[in-house]
Amino acid sequence: QAAWNLKTRALTEMVYVDEIDMDQEGIAEMILDENAIAQVARPGTSLKLPGTSQGGGPSPAVRPVTQSGRPITGFVRPSTQSGRPSTMEQAIRTPRTALTARPITSASGGYIRPGTASMLTNPDGPFINLSRLNLTKYAQKPKLAKALFEYIFHHENDVKNALDLAALATEHAQFKDWWWKVQIGKCYYRLGLYREAEKQFKSALKQQDMVDTILYLAKVYLRLDQPVTALNLFKQGLERFPGEVTLICGIARIYEEMNNISSAAEYYKDVLKQDNTHVEAIACIGSNHFYSDQPEIALRFYRRLLQMGVYNCQLFNNLGLCCFYAQQYDMTLSSFERALFLAENEEETADVWYNLGHVAVGIGDLNLAYQCFKLTLVNNNDYAEAYNNLAVLEMRKGHTEQARALLQTASSLAPHMYEPHFNVAILSEKVGDLQRSYTAAQKSEEAFPGHVDTQQLLKQLKEHFAML
Amino acid sequence: MPEGTGALREVLPKQGTGGQHRPALPARRAARSPPSSPFAGQLSVEDTATMVLCKPKILPLKSVSLEKLEKLQRAALEAAQPPEAAPPPSA
Repeated sequence: QAAWNLKTRALTEMVYVDEIDMDQEGIAEMILDENAIAQVARPGTSLKLPGTSQGGGPSPAVRPVTQSGRPITGFVRPSTQSGRPSTMEQAIRTPRTALTARPITSASGGYIRPGTASMLTNPDGPFINLSRLNLTKYAQKPKLAKALFEYIFHHENDVKNALDLAALATEHAQFKDWWWKVQIGKCYYRLGLYREAEKQFKSALKQQDMVDTILYLAKVYLRLDQPVTALNLFKQGLERFPGEVTLICGIARIYEEMNNISSAAEYYKDVLKQDNTHVEAIACIGSNHFYSDQPEIALRFYRRLLQMGVYNCQLFNNLGLCCFYAQQYDMTLSSFERALFLAENEEETADVWYNLGHVAVGIGDLNLAYQCFKLTLVNNNDYAEAYNNLAVLEMRKGHTEQARALLQTASSLAPHMYEPHFNVAILSEKVGDLQRSYTAAQKSEEAFPGHVDTQQLLKQLKEHFAML
Repeated sequence: MPEGTGALREVLPKQGTGGQHRPALPARRAARSPPSSPFAGQLSVEDTATMVLCKPKILPLKSVSLEKLEKLQRAALEAAQPPEAAPPPSA
């Protein structure tokens, strides 16, 4: 029995991903969401509406934005949402899986893959045959039951059986065991029954106050698109668990998702006061400083990460960028070289080449910049920013038609970015095609209403049209 | 990385006349006075709209959970491939 227990737990541990983090929302869940209470949420109360940037922070003129209009963050987790896509087409375009760019259609799709992995690693068939299992018998042995539940839930991904086992076990424990309530809550969450999950977590909390339960409950609220409730929950939790890093971090994440960058930064700083090795907080504050025109401070933060032993492509890329903009030119190129060496796939390589292109533009070597952006496209053909920047370079050389073609590609790949639209507007105005310029300028204004140059261009064009 | 905000920008501050009491000339559009000219004064440059570059990208770091997920997905993909690779050679 002990050996069986050990093997079960070992197999679970192989594929265990902390449920608190694990949160892939499929397209079906996003589009067919029945949990929304109001048709249009009040500003500041919903995660799905992209920022009305209430908390200040760098505008899209300075900081790149993602598909949903939210600025890119310093840290990405399995649950980093990208907001509700407005059309089905946009939803399909958004990369949702961790690895490939193909979106997952519904949440079960993501979980099946780890499950099949387990079946493939056991060539003689699954270790535990679920259909022949007598759940009632196991439910009565709490220690075995718990290991078995985790195995079924994480390794086999069979939520229904896991739920049955948990329900039987809870009954056996006369509803006094908080652990089983939490597990039932997790099962309900996976099945999409969020209100029931909420009830289970709340009752588990009443019985035994645990940080984990608070985190799970907050996840439920976030999935129900009630960030303010989640925030209140975290703040109450902090009263009972003062200084608990995961709770503070949770608050900071919610503020970041709601585009309230200044509050998020404040809470990340609180996290660092409690735990100054917290990678997520350091990365997010670093990226905020970089985009607030303070690359030297960002450099300090990223150096701290290096001190802690983080050693990957993204960190060296960021170090290179910060060194360059902080005018520490000796470190720049070697950091980028290291980043290229550490890149694990073509998308990361493309990102590094893109940033190298920026460095080249900064030193004035436009040929090098041209080559860097071309290399970006070689590695990732869908890199909209590279197309845009190549168009700007072509325009400098006077190749108008090529620039126009590149800009068209850029704007179709990334309609949420204002730069390609604005550049098309400028280009068309120079050439004299005022109608096209006007439509492009309007699209640019839609993407970034605060852009002064766009507004001036529109004013000029309107005056011109009024004269006609 | 500031964006230009006005149509006309002062590039140089008004230079002092250094002991000679000569009034500074009014700004001329996109005109630059030669350095040796006695009319050194305010220089303004007309701000025609120029194309904008997309901004440099700070890459987000990945969490431990995300890396583990990616590793699992990659392993699953690779495990799924050999069974497909096996039948064609035997066929």
